[in-house]
Amino acid sequence: MIWLTWRQHRKQALYTLAGLLALAAMIVPTGLAMRDTYADKGLPACFEGLKGGSLAPEASITCMRALDAFNDQYASLTFAGVLLLVLPLLVGLFWGAPLVARETEQGTHRLVWTQGVSRRHWALVKVGAVGGFTLAVATVYGLGTTWWMEPLTQTGLLSRFESGLFDMQGIAPIGYTLFAVALGVFAGTVWHKVLPAMGVALAGFAGLRIALTLLVRPRYMPAKVRTYPVEGSTGERGNLTGDWVLAKQVRNPDGTVAATNAEVACPPGVSGPGGSPCGSGLGLQAGAYNWQQYQPGDRFWLFQSIETGIFVALAVVLLYLAIRRVRRIA
Amino acid sequence: MEYVLETDQLGKRYGSRWAVRDCTLRLPAGRVAALVGPNGAGKSTLLHMAVGLLRPDAGAVRILGRSPYGDTEVLSEIGFVAQDTPLYRDFTAAELVTMGGKLNRRWDAALARTRLAQLGLPPDRPVGKLSGGQRAQVALALALAKRPSLLLLDEPVASLDPLARREFLQALMGSVAETGATVLLSSHILADLERTCDYVVVLSASQVRLAGPTDELATKYRQLIGARHDGGPIGGVAAVVRASHTDRQSTLLVRTDGPITDPTWTVRDVSLEDIILAYLADSDTRASHTEWGVPA
Repeated sequence: MIWLTWRQHRKQALYTLAGLLALAAMIVPTGLAMRDTYADKGLPACFEGLKGGSLAPEASITCMRALDAFNDQYASLTFAGVLLLVLPLLVGLFWGAPLVARETEQGTHRLVWTQGVSRRHWALVKVGAVGGFTLAVATVYGLGTTWWMEPLTQTGLLSRFESGLFDMQGIAPIGYTLFAVALGVFAGTVWHKVLPAMGVALAGFAGLRIALTLLVRPRYMPAKVRTYPVEGSTGERGNLTGDWVLAKQVRNPDGTVAATNAEVACPPGVSGPGGSPCGSGLGLQAGAYNWQQYQPGDRFWLFQSIETGIFVALAVVLLYLAIRRVRRIA
Repeated sequence: MEYVLETDQLGKRYGSRWAVRDCTLRLPAGRVAALVGPNGAGKSTLLHMAVGLLRPDAGAVRILGRSPYGDTEVLSEIGFVAQDTPLYRDFTAAELVTMGGKLNRRWDAALARTRLAQLGLPPDRPVGKLSGGQRAQVALALALAKRPSLLLLDEPVASLDPLARREFLQALMGSVAETGATVLLSSHILADLERTCDYVVVLSASQVRLAGPTDELATKYRQLIGARHDGGPIGGVAAVVRASHTDRQSTLLVRTDGPITDPTWTVRDVSLEDIILAYLADSDTRASHTEWGVPA
């Protein structure tokens, strides 16, 4: 069985490894360059200082400029990185969906399931080998991206907690990949042709990922709320701690919302044009404050574990059902 | 007598339609049996149940006394060549032989290699690039290398040209003579079967219409031609399988249970093909009348 699995999938495995190498060829040089720049500009000290609030105001401004400059140089890479989001899906489509569906589409299940090996054995070896391989690929990919993104997500402009960035690093891609493969395999046991199975896996994967990201992930844990005044503050550099800000508003002292998706901060002693109070141009009353709902940055790995757990659990259920279904296909 | 394949009231349903129903059949050891029937008669379904690919919805199928569904020990006794002889098209013939060795406890790789060498098949070309006839030969070699007691072939020659068909059947007969395996071969090409088979099972509209050794059938069935017949009993005739009438004359295909003594009938021998066709035509119209909801 292991010989057969290797013989059937060796080409695919080589292509996948070639793909990983191509990815590494992009990630490793840019990642190293980013790290060099990051260290050269003295950003680690800057970052710690800003976070700890121990910097003098001028130093803090210099630091922020340096961080912003770093971001300007490299932030566009994250958009290339977003392309990596589809990798788990591709693995699911090309490894998962054909596993059973190609056999039934070409009729070869009648050849292989009438030899002296039970279908359960066949399915376990196949799923085990493909699952193990994709697990290894996903781990390399997930941890590689984490390493790559590290300097960028530290500079404060982008939190690694944000949707999109959260999804392409850490252990979450492992969960996604396993789920995509499992969904592909399962779809192949229901729709006995490769293309429909791929289509279903595509739609199911995208649908669940989007639904979970938008609706469920913000609620894995009760969000925290913080408030700070508009006047006399330098603003929260919440991103420095990697917080995931879910909602921000500026509220008047009576609690009415003056602006949504906004943040207003006036350093002490600053006033608006013509000496008017800070923010009065926006209709803010004196004593207005910022209101933010957020998930603290230190929950990142907890959220990663929850997200990965959900997808791995779904993958296990789907694979169990798929192996059961294999025994009934004719 | 020992039966290699036995079915008892076997049935399989797809949705509300029965593909095989009330199928009771006993295939004695050592026979080369033809499973005949029109497309959609349930031949593949019956074979798939016999090889454990499908689980019956009713009744039972036993191979050497055991149910084949999910039983790998029974599977090792069955060589199966599925319809359109599916093979992994990117594998070479040599790799397929290796694969068989990995998937079966009993595997005669030398037998498969010898056969393929005798046929002049290239060992190192992907089988997807071989001709249909060559692929069928590879599939047969793989089935034979299991050294099976029962060889099931599902329309193995349907897509082959006449020459490849003859070569395939010759190869099959040659190896069966050597190994003594029992064979059940489904086909709708009657002429081929007459040459190769010594047992016939006629399956039509999901039921077995006729089963028996060909030599026995040839002695039992006769064609009678005579004056227009009104359906009354005829001496020596057990059943009329098919009757066609003109204004003055009747042609009957009958199963006899004794000599036909009535001199008004001209008695003729019939070929196996005639008998099979008579059964197929008979059940065809019966099924069709039922489906259309009109009296036959």
